[in-house]
Amino acid sequence: MKPWNSLILCFSLLSGVLATKPSVDRFEKYQTLSRSGPVGLDSTSFAELTTAPRDYYAVVLLTALDARYGCIMCREFDSEWELMARSWNKGTKLDDLKVVFGTLDFDHGKAVFQKLMLQTAPVLLLFPPTIGPFAKLDAEPVRYDFTSPIGAEQLYSWIGRHLPEGPKPPLVRPVNYMRIVSAITILMGTVTLFTVLSPYVLPIVQNRNLWAAVSLIAILLFTSGQMFNHIRKAPYVAGDGQGGISYFAGGFQNQFGMETQIVAAIYAILSFATIALALKVPRMEDVKGQQLAVLIWGAVLFVTYSLLLSVFKVKNGGYPFYLPPF
Amino acid sequence: MAEFSLDVLLKGNSGKNTRGLLRIIILLTIAAAAVASRLFSVIRFESIIHEFDPWFNFRATKYLVQNGFYSFWDWFDDRTWHPLGRVTGGTLYPGLMVTSGVIYHILRFLTIPVDIRNVCVLLAPGFSGLTALAMYLLTREMSHSPSAGLLAAAFMGITPGYISRSVAGSYDNEAIAIFLLVFTFFLWIKAVKNGSIMWGALTALFYGYMVSAWGGYVFITNLIPLHVFVLLCMGRYSSRLYISYTTWYALGTLGSMQIPFVGFLPIRNSDHMSALGVFGLLQLVAFAEFVRAFLHGKQFQKLLTSMVLLTFGLGFTGLIILSVSGVIAPWSGRFYSLWDTGYAKIHIPIIASVSEHQPTAWPAFFFDLNFLIWLFPAGVFICFQNLKDEHVFVIIYAVLASYFAGVMVRLMLTLTPIVCVAAALAASTILDSFLVMSKPTPETQAKANADKSKAFSSTRNPVVGIYSYFSKAVVTGSLIIYLLMFVAHCTWVTSNAYSSPSVVLASRLPDGSQHIIDDYREAYYWLRQNTEDNAKIMSWWDYGYQIGGMADRPTLVDNNTWNNTHIATVGKAMSSREEVSYPILRQHDVDYVLVVFGGLLGYSGDDLNKFLWMVRIAEGIWPDEVKERDFFTARGEYRVDDGATPTMKNSLMYKMSYYNYNSLFPAGQAVDRVRGVRLPAESPTLNTLEEAFTSENWIIRIFKVKDLDNFGRDHSNAVAFDKGLKRKRATKKKGPRVLRTE
Repeated sequence: MKPWNSLILCFSLLSGVLATKPSVDRFEKYQTLSRSGPVGLDSTSFAELTTAPRDYYAVVLLTALDARYGCIMCREFDSEWELMARSWNKGTKLDDLKVVFGTLDFDHGKAVFQKLMLQTAPVLLLFPPTIGPFAKLDAEPVRYDFTSPIGAEQLYSWIGRHLPEGPKPPLVRPVNYMRIVSAITILMGTVTLFTVLSPYVLPIVQNRNLWAAVSLIAILLFTSGQMFNHIRKAPYVAGDGQGGISYFAGGFQNQFGMETQIVAAIYAILSFATIALALKVPRMEDVKGQQLAVLIWGAVLFVTYSLLLSVFKVKNGGYPFYLPPF
Repeated sequence: MAEFSLDVLLKGNSGKNTRGLLRIIILLTIAAAAVASRLFSVIRFESIIHEFDPWFNFRATKYLVQNGFYSFWDWFDDRTWHPLGRVTGGTLYPGLMVTSGVIYHILRFLTIPVDIRNVCVLLAPGFSGLTALAMYLLTREMSHSPSAGLLAAAFMGITPGYISRSVAGSYDNEAIAIFLLVFTFFLWIKAVKNGSIMWGALTALFYGYMVSAWGGYVFITNLIPLHVFVLLCMGRYSSRLYISYTTWYALGTLGSMQIPFVGFLPIRNSDHMSALGVFGLLQLVAFAEFVRAFLHGKQFQKLLTSMVLLTFGLGFTGLIILSVSGVIAPWSGRFYSLWDTGYAKIHIPIIASVSEHQPTAWPAFFFDLNFLIWLFPAGVFICFQNLKDEHVFVIIYAVLASYFAGVMVRLMLTLTPIVCVAAALAASTILDSFLVMSKPTPETQAKANADKSKAFSSTRNPVVGIYSYFSKAVVTGSLIIYLLMFVAHCTWVTSNAYSSPSVVLASRLPDGSQHIIDDYREAYYWLRQNTEDNAKIMSWWDYGYQIGGMADRPTLVDNNTWNNTHIATVGKAMSSREEVSYPILRQHDVDYVLVVFGGLLGYSGDDLNKFLWMVRIAEGIWPDEVKERDFFTARGEYRVDDGATPTMKNSLMYKMSYYNYNSLFPAGQAVDRVRGVRLPAESPTLNTLEEAFTSENWIIRIFKVKDLDNFGRDHSNAVAFDKGLKRKRATKKKGPRVLRTE
């Protein structure tokens, strides 16, 4: 089967070059080139693929993969796009529904980007056929805009909507054996490690101080808005427009990464001072030492709380309360 | 003489009684303060139901009171979600309505003539008083010192984190649910401590009540098993634990299944699986403990290992098979989105669009909890010091709830009780050692030296006491300052942030006097008086409950968001061209369309600011017809002025919002005060709708959907004709000429 295919390909290529026979062979050519994924295109082959009399759908991704362009979405989407094209090409072919998947990188096709007046990448274009059973009057390509990162499933449904009704090759996401194997290995490794090290690990796991530290740190992080940073991807710091750094974001519902760390530190100092006053100080036997400790911790508590109030006043302008130093 | 009489009061048996009486008086005062601080809105405005959801609860309560319990249970509401209707009786948590119904009937029975509205408005403050009492009980279980309980009750009574959901008029499920939450936890701690079936059954009873009142019961369903699980991991299995947990689980699950809305979820939904799993685990552990008595060490060890491996394997495969085959439903979206924080934004925009489901920035924590937020970690640390069963509970609750509160603003509510407990523990520990007159004597030192046994590093040394009065005065004084500031803060926050009914807006005139903006009620009463009883009103879902409650007219969608497609239909009608929207409006029998527009007043919560969510939700269902991208300019801006995209300008929402708006201003001067932009000189034209009503400050605009044209013209032609425009000559058909072949 395969040798025949390549033979046909050779013939068709030859005939394509020699006789410039139209689209049927063009489809065959690209179809065969793209056995395991989208065809890599350049300016000329892009023009050839998308010239007017065509009896196939051409789905072309215009992208900029090179690290120079810093297009993160292009690189993220690339594997999904490969998966999409591969599973389509490997699926059972339908006689009359012809689809070619192609990728045009900016490095190979600057002319195309200029011609289409594209400022951004990635862009996905779907060229409907102009002749044949599914031909459309309007031969303009349909454009997919990437507003947010998408997976192959969403892309598949988008392409499916623009193709005629009927059965289509399914999207097959290959099972990631590597991941399963590594997960099992890591799991078993952890179990083994734990069994072997249990005489050393158990005292640590059962250590009350450790658990106390972990819980307190977790509470401090959560109550200082760390989850907000994580979900909203808040910037760490921002400039104040005059070359300096502004540590506190303006507005009540907004914050910077560093700001939350400052607040968490303030909370930690306040809590620690409270703990010291509540638990440590009454257990001191030295009279003078106790007096000194009370004064120090009391002052720390007072000053830090005053700082916290002033920081809060920055966030909420109308807040009327404050304590002396700040 | 005076000292002598004080001695009589404070010492011995009568001293105990005096203290008990004092405690009761203090608690009653706290409860009264809790109720009183929630009455700002009633005093400033009037006795009115607030916001959105409470209006539905109020309407349902009225239905219950008028038609009785059984018809409430079977209530099919055909005045919402037109034309689908809603099986209301089976899709709500009835606890709140039944509670206020019972109170209403009791008061009536006592011949106190009371209006059901006032019962509803004052239910939340009333229950907050009860919450303070429950808080006292819960905290008393955690500490020997009675002052901890009193402090916790006081904190709970006035902390804004709880007030935010329980001011007078905010008649929502949370109003009674927080009391039930705290009280259920108190009963659970009591059950674990005593190992008694009675306390376990009481826990189950109040758990059942909680299930009937609030969807947040899942928090209890998972927290109690987690507590038991952690105790098992710590090797603290006891028959007390077994008795209390199995009693609670068996009775509580049966009880929760009596609510139609919950039904079989407790045995079929992943949210509830941890409770079932721990129930099974507890049986195994109990069996192992039982067997241990009969076998000697090695055999037992072998048996235990094989049993653990076997059951773990069986349980795991069973769970996977049941999940894959669909017997056990996967995690519910809302609950799942707590763990995978990016999930809701991609998959359930309708959940992500609600502002109270946003993550919490740090100022919100301080705003709602003030200085409790830094006493909180200290209190948790003090729990580690004793670490009895109940302290483990506090620690787990504290860590979990602070995570949840960080992910979702509204879950601050579940964090607040535990913050109050922990903060009260910390504050009372300080006060107990600094607020005593007696100085440490050598005797107490010696006695303290005797019990040096604790393993915990910070408390290894024995308690001695505080020597100097000066230290005592410094610490007590500063703590009193913090406490007073806390009270001031709570009052300020309650008065400024949480007491607005949001149905009625207040603003200040230049001379400082208060001006009430009452556009919502003005518009709803217009609807009530000027439209037919059966006129269908289309609006965005936020206003569905209010229209149902205040205008008493059928709506297409409301805040119960059970049918995403129906909401997306409304979104599509709002965000499409008139030619597309009109058929949708006709198909759904819409008579009036209501939009909220804040441009004149600078009211930022209007529909144009929510518009993108409408587009997004519509795009989720009709990705080909509605595209979010089309509402942004080429440079990615969301604009409503001259630079707005054609899709934006032609959308029904845009047209309705700005229709005739420029007539208020001199030519070309129309300004939108919310978005701060100058608008195009001409007003948009509406062909298929006509303006019916616009409220005083233009916040609410109501448009009537035109009937079909009498002459069979389409509406744009009819409007053009009415304006006296010349009819366009029928232009030649576009496209290539084709040969006629008939």
